[in-house]
Amino acid sequence: MEIRPAIQIQAMIKSMIDVVLPAVDPEHKMAQEQAQLIIGTLKMMGQRLPLQFRYDRKELDEYVALSVELLKQMRGSEKTQSAMKELGASQVEGAAVLDRARAEPGELETAVFDLRAKVGALVKAVGADGEAASRDALKHLILDAAENQLQRELSWQAALGYSDPAELQPIENLIGVSPAR
Amino acid sequence: MLSIDKNRPPAEWIADLRRRFPCETEIDRILTSKLNRRAGPGYSPVSLETLSNGVKALLQQELKEPFEVVEAKWLSGGASKVQMEFKLQWNEPGVGRTTTRMVLRMEPAESAVETSRLREFQLIKAFEGILPVPKAYWADAEGKYFPYPAIIYGFATGVTKPTGSVSNVSGTGINFGPALRPIIGAQFVDHMARMHTMDWRQADLSAFDVPALGTQAVEWQINWWERVWEEDSNEDIPLMRFAADWLRQNMPPVDRLSVVHGDYRSGNFLYTEHDNRITAWLDWELGHLGDRHEDLGYALNLVHAHKSEDGKTVLYNGFMPKEALFEAYEKASGLSVSPKIVDYYRVLSTYKLTAVCIGSTYRIARGGKSHQDVLLAWLIGAGYVIAEDLRRVLKEV
Repeated sequence: MEIRPAIQIQAMIKSMIDVVLPAVDPEHKMAQEQAQLIIGTLKMMGQRLPLQFRYDRKELDEYVALSVELLKQMRGSEKTQSAMKELGASQVEGAAVLDRARAEPGELETAVFDLRAKVGALVKAVGADGEAASRDALKHLILDAAENQLQRELSWQAALGYSDPAELQPIENLIGVSPAR
Repeated sequence: MLSIDKNRPPAEWIADLRRRFPCETEIDRILTSKLNRRAGPGYSPVSLETLSNGVKALLQQELKEPFEVVEAKWLSGGASKVQMEFKLQWNEPGVGRTTTRMVLRMEPAESAVETSRLREFQLIKAFEGILPVPKAYWADAEGKYFPYPAIIYGFATGVTKPTGSVSNVSGTGINFGPALRPIIGAQFVDHMARMHTMDWRQADLSAFDVPALGTQAVEWQINWWERVWEEDSNEDIPLMRFAADWLRQNMPPVDRLSVVHGDYRSGNFLYTEHDNRITAWLDWELGHLGDRHEDLGYALNLVHAHKSEDGKTVLYNGFMPKEALFEAYEKASGLSVSPKIVDYYRVLSTYKLTAVCIGSTYRIARGGKSHQDVLLAWLIGAGYVIAEDLRRVLKEV
């Protein structure tokens, strides 16, 4: 799926710099300033977006570690004990989330990219010298998989206005629930 | 992620693509040139002044009498080329001293469809007096006077859609409304028929290779677009691999060579609202010699269709259902329509458009290669609608 923020942000920055900003009235200082701020904000988003997940994971890692130490070292009466009890529950939950958050989003993308390429290569190979029965099965497998894939892609990009919204399912229904706790 | 870095294509990979996907000579030249330039710089904005100076430099070679280039301004529309409108004050041969509105159409560093300005120029010339087309004046096929190759043709008046109506980018999904539909629709069909019955052997089409009757024309088209998919796509799409194989296994022989427009659709012609007449057919860059069914198949793309007021009937290009299109075309052209062959070209045209909208637009926006990357990034979305059309057609055939 190619509709991704990375490419969209890069294209927006180029459009702002090459086309929009030169056309903004130089006398309209607020418009000039905000156009520059939009470019700056987009640049920051473009740089930081790939690191967002790692940043959050690092933060969670450190808070889990801090919580462990706090739970070890803090002592007190009713209020302290109550707060520690709540912290303890959240620390356990946080540690479980951290345990599941091992793969980078980029690794996920790479794995999908690789499988797409390998499936594509097999489709080509079967077209060249696959057995007749395999070719029949291939048609069903590939077209059925494409149906699910395209439903997801069309729902993902609904806001672009190319499809009738009434014919699309909410994207949340198509990409599953959050990972189980 | 890639074993081949398509943003810096190695020479041996380019040579391999040329060997695996033989195309017409001029198509091979422009696709190879695209890849050879790819590792170079992205598109830098070009000023109106630079383009006006390019026009002057070109005309100094072409015209013997004094001239002036005035009132240059940008034109929008289309997803592919940089366009500038200007007025030329000149001594037009056979007319005398006059002022003519013209359009400069120039390539960016990479185009959504990488094509030949010379072919576009020759096709427009070929249809002067046969179809409403802008008058073609000059071509700078090698980019001698401009930063990139360009052509200059006459400005055609008109609109692509009813004033006040809305459509998505690049003129997809135009709704002409019930009153206008039959009037423009009849011209849409009549012009297609005239294009396909035109005697192209009488025209200067030196930038075109002439395929043999049989499957050569089809094979060249498959090679062209599969090569583009290989050159430009980022992630693979197994559906595209399956479609390419299906296309090769099912090539229908061509019984009669016609000029095929290659992008014959609403949004690619202008009409004047005071008399509802089509004034100009534009965007001839994908034109070639081939099977008339190709334009008919292309005309059935769902991305250029919408439902009528009854909520059920699909109006292709905003005009008419499929059966009505076939019937009107046969009557206007005197040529037969094979629905089976049209279906074949529905697969080819959706394959081609998917390659352009998901493959080429991604690659260009990724490399910052055009004057409107943001529009191309938006256009990727059309690619998935077209890919879904491709999947449905493949399921039917």
